[in-house]
Amino acid sequence: MSEFKSGFFVGGESCNGRVLVVDDEPDIRKVVRMTLQKAGYDVLEAENGEKAIETINYGENRLLLDVIICDIRMPKVNGIEAIAYFRQNYTRVPLIVLTGFPDTDMATALLRQGVVDYLVKPVEGEKLKASVARAMEQRELAHL
Amino acid sequence: MTIISPTMSHPQAENQGSEPAPASPPMRVAIIGAGRGGMALLDVLHQISRIQIVGITDQNSSAPGLTRAQELHVPVYDRVTDLITHQGLNLVIDVTGDPAMESVLREEVPAGADVVNGQTARLLWVLVQHESTLQTELLHAEKLAGIGSFAAGIAHDMNNPLQLILGLAENLTDEPDLEAVHLQAHDIIDAVKRTTAICRDLTSYSRRSSLRQDCLIGVGGKLDEALKIARYAVALQDIEIRKLYQPDVVVKGNPDELLHVFVNLITNAVQAMEHHGTLTLETHAMADATQIRVSDTGSGIAPELLGRIFEPFFTTKPPGKGTGLGLYNIKNVIHHMNGTIGVDSQIGRGSTFTLTFPSESGADERTTSS
Repeated sequence: MSEFKSGFFVGGESCNGRVLVVDDEPDIRKVVRMTLQKAGYDVLEAENGEKAIETINYGENRLLLDVIICDIRMPKVNGIEAIAYFRQNYTRVPLIVLTGFPDTDMATALLRQGVVDYLVKPVEGEKLKASVARAMEQRELAHL
Repeated sequence: MTIISPTMSHPQAENQGSEPAPASPPMRVAIIGAGRGGMALLDVLHQISRIQIVGITDQNSSAPGLTRAQELHVPVYDRVTDLITHQGLNLVIDVTGDPAMESVLREEVPAGADVVNGQTARLLWVLVQHESTLQTELLHAEKLAGIGSFAAGIAHDMNNPLQLILGLAENLTDEPDLEAVHLQAHDIIDAVKRTTAICRDLTSYSRRSSLRQDCLIGVGGKLDEALKIARYAVALQDIEIRKLYQPDVVVKGNPDELLHVFVNLITNAVQAMEHHGTLTLETHAMADATQIRVSDTGSGIAPELLGRIFEPFFTTKPPGKGTGLGLYNIKNVIHHMNGTIGVDSQIGRGSTFTLTFPSESGADERTTSS
């Protein structure tokens, strides 16, 4: 049965939303995908900021992407550069930072820029899901 | 190229040296006695460019200082009289403590040369040992200060496997598929092993350099080890790394200290490139010398600063980002290994640090550390 979420139909299957996970570590993408898929999210992956920008600009993702979870320390286009791009070009897509390095100054600056959450690895599944759920609420509010 | 060499007597330094000539000729010193005192004097005086050690001698042909002198290419004399009548000698240091030596020196040392012996020589020996201890402490302190900058890299490398472990463990609590359980359990084990390897590398790197443990070191392996450590201090993801290693290149020295030298040079090179560029690591074994080059395509060093970069506390980094002791300590370690360090640099094009050591033959007969 098709389900209406975030104002869009997604793939004809039940889906709580579409999440893009940007991290250079395949292991991290794997566990985040595992956690979020169990919670009913459709998960896309990108291995760095450059790929993330390609992914969000590809086909229906432009419209259907609900949340971006982004690492900071990555090759090519790093998290800071990628987030700046998303904030400028996809203002309605909420962003969650998931980083291995806690940096208070960076966290403050990113939260001021409108990032929904700044999570430091390792983060529990429940906390990650709660953060994505908050981001989804923000996403839906943006469509009102 | 600016070359910083330990002594004027070093053959390679004479060939390559474009370092400004000292204002006055070096003091020419002879050392009598090659036990612990003579060897300590040799090690420290050898590093001072204003001092030329013309030779060393000892009645005991197996005295440790004589072996060290051969490593440093300092002439070893069989007879005291041959040494102390050396042309143009300025100073004779007698650390034998042998009262009979005093009369020999009084009669044979030419006019114009001074003699330091007895309690004065002993005092000099104590001061030199103190200096040697300070150098070792300084090297260790600078290394520990550098480890502070590893925090971001360590956190990244620890927290990523921890995220995997936590995510998989959470999943296992309700995973019905037994095969998936087994696979994920193995992933957890691998992640734990990766995490412990980080701790092992850093614990090993941060330990105090073992004293007097010179051995033959495989240079390529040591450069690879340094890359592993340096990646905690600087992001290497966007750096192209070119390894031009000639096989089986070895140098003689302290492996812990050489690792520290390589980590510092690689870290500096990557910082100069601001995360984008090419890092080239080269090793060459030539007939009479071994060369190691660390090159970057970074910002380069201004010509007016090139002559100062090996000075203690000289840094171009912002306050809190560098101790200013990195290259100074590197120079001391290289000189201790009887090597030279030189730098070529062009603003906007990058820098190349070249380490040159006397070639080591008979590598297969001695202990090799990689």
